[in-house]
Amino acid sequence: MSATILPEERALDSHRMSHSRESKRYGFFPGCVAKESCKELFNSTMLLADKLGIELIELTAASCCGASVVNDVNRDVARVLNARTYAQAEALGLDDVITICSTCTGHMRAANKELLESEERMDQANAILGKFGAKYKGSVMVRHLLWLLIDDIGLDNLRKMVVRPLNGLKVAPFYGCHIIRPEKVNGWESARNPHSLEDVIDALGGEPVEYAGKTRCCGFHVQLEKEDIAANMVGQNMRMAKDNGAEAVITPCPLCHLALDGYQKDAAARWGRTDLPTFHLPQLVAFALGVEPEKLGLNKHLIDPRTIMVERELIS
Amino acid sequence: MAVKLDIFRFDEATDTIPHRQIVEVDVPDKTTVLDALEAAKAEIDGSISFRRSCRSAICGSCSMNINGVTGLACKTNCSDVVKADGTIAVDPMPNFQPMKDLVVHMDPFWDKYSRLKPYLQPADKDSDHATERRVSPEDMQKLVDVANCIMCATCYALCPVISVDPAFAGPAAIAYAYRFIEDVRDGKRDQRIAQISEDYLWLCAHCYACSYCPKHVDPNDRIIDVKRAAVRDKVMMDERGPRHALTVSKTIKQTGMLAETEVVLGTVGRFNIVAQLKALPLGLRMVSRGKLTPFEMAAGGTAPLLGLPSIKPIPKVNEVTAIFDALEVPTI
Repeated sequence: MSATILPEERALDSHRMSHSRESKRYGFFPGCVAKESCKELFNSTMLLADKLGIELIELTAASCCGASVVNDVNRDVARVLNARTYAQAEALGLDDVITICSTCTGHMRAANKELLESEERMDQANAILGKFGAKYKGSVMVRHLLWLLIDDIGLDNLRKMVVRPLNGLKVAPFYGCHIIRPEKVNGWESARNPHSLEDVIDALGGEPVEYAGKTRCCGFHVQLEKEDIAANMVGQNMRMAKDNGAEAVITPCPLCHLALDGYQKDAAARWGRTDLPTFHLPQLVAFALGVEPEKLGLNKHLIDPRTIMVERELIS
Repeated sequence: MAVKLDIFRFDEATDTIPHRQIVEVDVPDKTTVLDALEAAKAEIDGSISFRRSCRSAICGSCSMNINGVTGLACKTNCSDVVKADGTIAVDPMPNFQPMKDLVVHMDPFWDKYSRLKPYLQPADKDSDHATERRVSPEDMQKLVDVANCIMCATCYALCPVISVDPAFAGPAAIAYAYRFIEDVRDGKRDQRIAQISEDYLWLCAHCYACSYCPKHVDPNDRIIDVKRAAVRDKVMMDERGPRHALTVSKTIKQTGMLAETEVVLGTVGRFNIVAQLKALPLGLRMVSRGKLTPFEMAAGGTAPLLGLPSIKPIPKVNEVTAIFDALEVPTI
């Protein structure tokens, strides 16, 4: 077994020494995109956690969830990779694992479901994990930060914590497929008529925009196969949002963010200009809860959200 | 209960644009949308057109949009979908050309299905065989779910890829390709995998919209099965789809992470200058906004040539590599 000491192990050790257990503690799985091209998502999430008074302890040795892509080459590898991540979380006493990506949420939950429902699969995973001294006992639960906001913080509390209400900013929710579908894997809310994002927008003082595109696909997973498909899906969905009055979009998924933020320009030829800025969920919540806007990486978006924020007198 | 059916009306023979008709019917509480439509047709307006036959989710005729949700009218209870004002809006399936009212032209769906040659083609077709072709229960089990497909086209109507690129085979056709690819009696496995790969198997967007299948065929999972069969048999491995999956697999094995720029360049082809130039504006916009550093972008292209990881590996990455080795996962 490797003797590497991980930052999260050190952090938890110092906690045990100081006996401080005031804030609620979660295992945190940021996912690849929040560590690569959407670092602003990672940073905003950590700043939001401070405001919420919770502690997100990053699982720094966790691997990619499989990103819905490795399933295409092997039926077992995503499940075993995630079993390794769960074993790490369990060993740290962090059974409640929080994600900030719809695709991570869906695929980690699917892997967990497969492991918990089949002794054979659990044994297969643990036989491999055993080679490096790890074991998954089956106690981990994977949830998205969006669900944590509603279940653990509560919409009423969230509303009370708002110091910068959104002044009725018209925000279109964009869920991302894998946080709602397949329903048998997620099932936290109705896949066909979810309203958690609308509830959060409302709690922040914004006005949720209803449109048929909110549960549709952003096209991210097919952009490398055929870019036009992704651009058209983005155009189609953003057209619906814009036509129903949206001034901005909010998404719990960085893959959706990359597609929506990146492809509206390319989609304009067919779908008309939409130019809707796309907030990461934690960015907009953190902003309303009082985190300084300069710290949220809003300048990293291709469609700058600060324009509409100035227009709606949210920032100067 | 009183139900106000808000019906899409259109006749391609006479109309240029559709209109809507509101029809009020009084139906028992546990009535299906199809029965409500039957009542409207029988009692109020005989010209309302829709397809139906079995009324029990076996024939696959009556899929339509019900309050914006695609599904079988015979399997949807009015009480489950009726809006507060008593309305149920019925529209033809999206992704199809309307013919008359709720009836659509099904030709593109059937064309893609026919291309599969959706019948058994045994290798020993012409030889005398004295006995039946037997299939073990384990082998048959793989086909049971997909054999439940009733060709209702709900998945095709829900597919967002079809909505913007009608060349895509669509979920039902791929699921049915699986049904023959995995049939041990069939002798055309290789040709079938090649055919469905050419029909844009890899354009599936992984959205799981087809997981709403009314017969629980789960075409989404069968699409993944067919892709794995294509990778295993090395069919059209130079296409972007397989390259994408295998490059993702490679970067996770090597670094523990999905290394974004390496995956982009590895998928479009590191020496495919045209494709790279096409992807360049977005890449540059991302660099100019600080989403990617120039170093990150350059590393994705050059590090793999030197056999090096293009991003910093996670701690204990050797464990991840061990998982890939134990499962003999293919990589690029």
